Amino acid sequence: MSLFAAPNLTDEEKRILDGGEGIVKQKCMEYLVELCQISGAERLVDLNGTGDMHTPGLNLSQHHVITLDELSDFADRGGRFKIPTFADKSPFMDQPPIHGWEHCNLCAGKRPDARQDDPIFHEKAMQRETFQILQKMGLITTHSCANYLVMSYLPSVGQHCSWFESSQQTYCNATLGARTNFDGTLATCLLGKAPYYDMHITENRHGTIMVTTDRLITSDIEWDVYGFAVGEACDVEVPIVNNTVIPNTTQYQKFNSAIATGGAVRMYHLPGITPEAPTASFAAGGKPIKEYIHIDEAALRRTYDVLNYRNKDDIDMVYLGCPHLNIVDLMTLALKLEGKKCKIPLWIVTAPWLYAPAKELGYLEKFEKAGALLLSGTCLAAVGSVPDGVRNIAVDTAKQAYYITGCYPDENDPLYVSYGSTDECIDAALTGKWRGEWR
Amino acid sequence: MSKRFYGRCEYPGQVTAEAIVAPKYLQGFTNVDPFSGYTTERNHPLCRVPYTGKVLVFYSPRGSGGFLMYGFGAKPAAFVHTKSSPLTVGAIVQARIPSISDFEEDPLPFIESGDTVFVNADEGYIEVTKKGSA
Repeated sequence: MSLFAAPNLTDEEKRILDGGEGIVKQKCMEYLVELCQISGAERLVDLNGTGDMHTPGLNLSQHHVITLDELSDFADRGGRFKIPTFADKSPFMDQPPIHGWEHCNLCAGKRPDARQDDPIFHEKAMQRETFQILQKMGLITTHSCANYLVMSYLPSVGQHCSWFESSQQTYCNATLGARTNFDGTLATCLLGKAPYYDMHITENRHGTIMVTTDRLITSDIEWDVYGFAVGEACDVEVPIVNNTVIPNTTQYQKFNSAIATGGAVRMYHLPGITPEAPTASFAAGGKPIKEYIHIDEAALRRTYDVLNYRNKDDIDMVYLGCPHLNIVDLMTLALKLEGKKCKIPLWIVTAPWLYAPAKELGYLEKFEKAGALLLSGTCLAAVGSVPDGVRNIAVDTAKQAYYITGCYPDENDPLYVSYGSTDECIDAALTGKWRGEWR
Repeated sequence: MSKRFYGRCEYPGQVTAEAIVAPKYLQGFTNVDPFSGYTTERNHPLCRVPYTGKVLVFYSPRGSGGFLMYGFGAKPAAFVHTKSSPLTVGAIVQARIPSISDFEEDPLPFIESGDTVFVNADEGYIEVTKKGSA
């Protein structure tokens, strides 16, 4: 058996690997070749869709590092991204909120020298010099984990993409019918090539597991809990998910993030709904189903209980915006909060490019009058902490509920999470009490 | 007692170390502390159990691309896992430690934490020696 074999490269790819097109492209190609060796991909695929990368992203890995000088030189010589590439929310702890940072009273990674509301720290963390170079190369700096909300240029069905964010993998593959693996980096987006394996190949996208449940999945929280449960049950398989209504954008956001938290699902089908599933049989590629999984009422209840990690009903803070909220979410929240007053901090987080519309439409003013804080481009879990003194937080998404506690692993000083619907979270913000329950 | 399992080399190298077996999917991002070398996922049987320098044995990851953080800092000596996916590829390119997956026979039911595992990724197999056996 051939072990750790090099992929088959075209003459153009070999020339890049040999340094014929400069050091930056060479390092990118070396990285892609190593990904092929690890994954077993026999070749690269030319990308014709879009890119999504966590920024700044100069370190492709610990062993494949592009220096700022190298990148600057590359950009000066006319170096550009090969495919339209969008900046995801940075996963690095120092990442600042783009809007609302002046009121963001927490320390990145719990480091006292990294207060997000400190103007000096903020300016440094914005890394303007790096982003100017990336923008010169064509990076579209959306800075959002839900940048598909504002791209205005979505990939078409069947296009080969290179995205990174887990909740966006499922959005790209399942919701849009475009094709991506978890590999959106400077390397793939700059070269316009990615290892040809997994979700780029039609057969691997076919459904393998048939999932059913007892109830019709209708509400936002049902989509979220069902998503986590399906993920846990299916992990790396491709589920064909039944017993749902047609999801709206908010529900897709919840389901896509939850299924990629509870499991490693990067592709699923909703028969009669998602682009590659006109029918369940078509979604399965005409092949037999490997396994039938029924997620009954007890399993949904268990999942809800797993997402809750609560020791009392007093809440210190409410966080909404995982993934970043769309404009309809913001409108709905603004109208619900109109004339109300929050008793505890309520943070609402959206994509930076939706902040200006939220302001123009009067939502920002409504939030401020209610005592809520509108932020953009950030995430508590990614920053790795909550504001000082917060030990009981309420959230409305499985993803944030399951990740934020990992930042507080000390058994003697844990962070507790109350998980429920958006309305239950609003109620908690207005009363300081948790009254949510699974229905 | 020992047994050999053949699989696909994901990253070459040879190492012998004690196994630490995850009885449940492993998750990265905030649910791993790469500096301490343990998972911080609430509910996980390996929460705060160090994997550093051991052969980390698991079925598959789940969750965010932040699984790649298992390849940073106080990393394991080797990865042995049942299912490969883009998440494991992302971790291995960071870790550059001997790694094997896609076995002819899944070794997970056979390996327990504390067993000694010889990972010979160069030749595409692992050899598991049960704890307590000479």
